Amino acid sequence: MPKKDEHIHHFKEEGGFEMDISMKKGSIDDPFTEVPPADKMIVFLRQHIGKETKPLVEEGASVKYGQKIGDNQDAGPMVVPVHSPVNGTVEEIKKIKHPISMEQEKAVIIKTEDEGKEPYYNPIDPDKASRKELLDRMREGGIVGLGGASFPTHVKLSEERDISHLIINAKESDPNLACDVRLMMEKGEDMIKGIKLMAKMLQVNNIVFATRTKKGEVPKFERFLERNDINITRIRPNYSVGSERLLVKEVLDREVPSGEFPPAVGAVVHNVATAYAVSEAVIRGESLVSRGLTLYSKKTGGRNLWVRMGTPVSHVLQNLGTSPEIFDRIAIGSIMMGPTIPNPSYPIMKATSGITAFTHSESSPYEKQKACIRCGYCNTVCPVDIYPQMIMEAEKKNNIDRLKKLHVEDCIDCGLCSYVCPSDIKLTPYLRRGQSKVKKSKD
Amino acid sequence: MKKEESTYKMEKPPHLHIGLHKNELMWKTFLMMCIIALASVIIMGLEALIHILVAIGTVLIVNSSIYSYQVWKGKEPTYESPASPLVAGMIVGLAMPIAGPYEVTAGVALLTILVFKYGQGRYFKRKYLNPAATSKVLLLGLLSIMFFLEDPLDTGMLFHTHHYDWFIIEFGSLANADGFKEAVGFFSRDSISILGIYNVEVELTAAQGLLLWQTHGWIGGASSVVVLIVGTVSAYWLRFKWRIIASMLTTMTVISVATGLYLGGDPILRIAFHVFTGSVIFLMFFMATEPQSTPMPERSQYIFGMTLAILTFVLQLLNVLGGSVIALVILNMATPYLDKIGIKTPYGHKESDGGA
Repeated sequence: MPKKDEHIHHFKEEGGFEMDISMKKGSIDDPFTEVPPADKMIVFLRQHIGKETKPLVEEGASVKYGQKIGDNQDAGPMVVPVHSPVNGTVEEIKKIKHPISMEQEKAVIIKTEDEGKEPYYNPIDPDKASRKELLDRMREGGIVGLGGASFPTHVKLSEERDISHLIINAKESDPNLACDVRLMMEKGEDMIKGIKLMAKMLQVNNIVFATRTKKGEVPKFERFLERNDINITRIRPNYSVGSERLLVKEVLDREVPSGEFPPAVGAVVHNVATAYAVSEAVIRGESLVSRGLTLYSKKTGGRNLWVRMGTPVSHVLQNLGTSPEIFDRIAIGSIMMGPTIPNPSYPIMKATSGITAFTHSESSPYEKQKACIRCGYCNTVCPVDIYPQMIMEAEKKNNIDRLKKLHVEDCIDCGLCSYVCPSDIKLTPYLRRGQSKVKKSKD
Repeated sequence: MKKEESTYKMEKPPHLHIGLHKNELMWKTFLMMCIIALASVIIMGLEALIHILVAIGTVLIVNSSIYSYQVWKGKEPTYESPASPLVAGMIVGLAMPIAGPYEVTAGVALLTILVFKYGQGRYFKRKYLNPAATSKVLLLGLLSIMFFLEDPLDTGMLFHTHHYDWFIIEFGSLANADGFKEAVGFFSRDSISILGIYNVEVELTAAQGLLLWQTHGWIGGASSVVVLIVGTVSAYWLRFKWRIIASMLTTMTVISVATGLYLGGDPILRIAFHVFTGSVIFLMFFMATEPQSTPMPERSQYIFGMTLAILTFVLQLLNVLGGSVIALVILNMATPYLDKIGIKTPYGHKESDGGA
């Protein structure tokens, strides 16, 4: 176990603004606790960035752990299947408000019969398998990026352009999440197998392991990396560099052009937790039906949990001996970027890297918004060099031309502009609305 | 799950804040200016304290009246804390000439809070002009054109006929310029009465006097060295728009040296005169960086600071008292334009895609 002072205490952003990450420190030393499945599991048919899948099961059907229950091959490569997280029976297929899109989307409600978790697919020998076999398994296993964007992994790994570097993003920037570091501590060997598999599918030799951890913070994992000739690049302790576009600039000094993705400059970035999911899908035949996440609240502290997709948040909380009623609001994901859910029945999904819960005594720091004083903190801290305050003004006036000129589309949604605003203005929603107005004007 | 059941408060991210809020920022700014005020009172005496108290008192009376009215009418108060009005009052106090009448200070403070702080904010939804600077230019400008008033310093005018006798752009040493010696005599008197110090033995040069203590001129500029230290600490601690300070200070220094070299004489005295006379240095740190009336893009802040320095310098050469304040108001009017021309090129774009 690392000594306390081996951890980083705060992030430093542009302009010298600091971000306290003591919340993260508390959970780094907490081993994963497995949460048993709930009696009823709620599995959304879209847990990736692309279109919704179609249900492959009917109400009343029996399903096995890891069995495919939704897919839509005709909808293009951006769609990946979803799988049953339990052995059980399909009770209902109905539309529910999706916690990310906030639209009514289809979910399969499964009554859990037992906690068994025999992998549904056969293992593949990674040394003998062809690139195509491995890529097919990625899709079939429902593997998506676990950093939060849920981009289909098989799409990223089947890149046809020349790729010089595979960057493994172990930055875990969110100030209250520690599940990735914990995974490095507990599942390091499997994770490295996953990284090697990714490199094989991508056909690259240069692997960069980008982490914010100090030397010696995860010693066992570092030794694994060294043994496998994987370079460790230590990134400066900074929140925004966790974004893949900025990570490419930081690691390779290549700037990803606006509107493009890292392959445009010869790089592919994958989250470290995704590497573990890749290894599990190939070596053990596991579908992506569970993941590690960090639950953080002042009541519980930081806890690392291993949870199956479809488990309601209420069940997760109750399992820790905490009543969902003591909370005033709950964000799915990190404290900086996670949307809130209307009630605790909402389920864990593939993109859920964390649960951040606030008790009734913790009022929102943004409750009393004041008039903007144009201090310029927001544009000083912005990691992509746009002007959030000016964008807010343009958005209020519905000035689409100005929004375009101010490059609102380049916002990475990091939330730093709101974080530093002394007038407590939440600028992020204005930026999102601005982006959507520009997008609509182009359609 | 009931479809529309909502038990939790819904809120958009982020859910974390750095913890530095507007009122705290204002209180800290006020606290830093109190140090400058203390130095000014020590150097200039009780008159300085009265000017500051008159300005702060006027602002507080007006603010609490408006606050009470807004609460009585059931409206959200414009300023829930007196911190921001207090800062405005302190700036007025420190931006007034020590020789001016207290009534003029009260008048400037009244205009500042009522017209250029509350009024401007309400009708334009933003402060385009620096409230204290604009009030001072307006009131002192009006007094200056009232031909029927005499021209002793105690009328608080921007122009004084006896200043026209000075000619600070003639060739040769500035120290020998007509009227300059007389002025320096005012600047560095040999006593600090409030501390009971009379007939200071050490004789200061004109440049040292301008840097260390001035018993004449603007209250906030009584000790340039104190303003430099407190201003630098504040700019770092409270993240003022430091590019304005840096570019104004550099430009003023460069053109002072260039003028000194061209006209002859001591360049250090030139720098001391142009940068430290009156309250240029106070304006540089605490007025020219006022966030609402100054540009946001970094490049625009450099342009703002440089142009402000040049304009101030020209007005100084013309012997206009308070030239820096007039220059600031002019530059404030250019801010909406400057906001458009200095936009940085965002990540992932080429320079040609940059400006907005």
